[in-house]
Amino acid sequence: MSELERTLLRRLRDRDERAFRELIESHRDRVFNITYRMLGDRAEAEDVAQEVFISVFKTIESFREESKFSTWLYRVTVNHCKNRIKYLARRHDRDRDELDESSHETNGAAGAPLRHVQPDRALEGAQLELLLQQAIANLDDDQRVVVVLRDVEDLSIEEICEITGLPDGTVKSRLHRARLVLRKRLQRHV
Amino acid sequence: MTDEADDKAPNEIDDEIGEAIDEAIDEAILAAVSDYLDGALTGARKAEVAGKIAADPAWQRAHDELTETRKVLSGLQKAHAPSSFADDVARTIHRRSAGRFFARRTLGDRVPLGAVLAVALAGLAVIAYVLWSSATGSLKVDHARDRPAVTGSAAVAPP
Repeated sequence: MSELERTLLRRLRDRDERAFRELIESHRDRVFNITYRMLGDRAEAEDVAQEVFISVFKTIESFREESKFSTWLYRVTVNHCKNRIKYLARRHDRDRDELDESSHETNGAAGAPLRHVQPDRALEGAQLELLLQQAIANLDDDQRVVVVLRDVEDLSIEEICEITGLPDGTVKSRLHRARLVLRKRLQRHV
Repeated sequence: MTDEADDKAPNEIDDEIGEAIDEAIDEAILAAVSDYLDGALTGARKAEVAGKIAADPAWQRAHDELTETRKVLSGLQKAHAPSSFADDVARTIHRRSAGRFFARRTLGDRVPLGAVLAVALAGLAVIAYVLWSSATGSLKVDHARDRPAVTGSAAVAPP
């Protein structure tokens, strides 16, 4: 850890507001990019990114400087994303149940049409981005974490192990599986 | 399950088994190529995988597809946080802590509570002394006022 980082940490522990702003300015885009790629929705991503920084400020005393500060920050980010994914999944299930009930009440009327990406347009920039985002969103949480950290954020396997607390072999096997799934989904379009 | 299997023709079952075997082989190749691309292989294993990629079309295809997938993933546009993000976070902290979060350290944590109390008591004592010693202070005991008034009427004898 650099002397600059230590000084910043000391100021953070002293609850210096300017230090908090400096920290946010230097990490906000990366944290936001992770939350956005994990959640696939800007509003949710922004909300979670805010909660990440608030958690960091509240628990800065518990950071023991045994790892890089960024590693600790990304760990907090990943944990918040996983919690939000679980919460959204529960809410989605509840909404679906309510929708099922209401559709039974309306004699099985068709629900809102699902949004699909047109395969023939998928090669166009924005569509490819959307297609890829959907492919990432369809991965299971554990695979999504490793693929976002490794292939989107370009973090090393060692850093991912530290962030997730998983052994090397587990990270690699989740990464292989995630890439396999993504490859299959993108195969027809890329 | 059994009924479904019974309904299938033998050649269909063979095809499914063939696909499963292909998939397993494919997955093993992808795992090795994935490690190779991550730089996780060293020495003989690295050379072995490199050799297979160069010589075997299945390995070559896995290498090309994985490279392409990784390229597309790393080429995803970086999402940027809104410009007001830092202000939004600071505002939320101020709101939730009722302004105490950034101010608390000024006195609360750094100075021991005992010292704060001692300073407060000393301050109160100084104020009390000033009030007491002041000629017009409200704590000043006015003995003259408490004494029975000696007025002219006592000295004057009744007619």
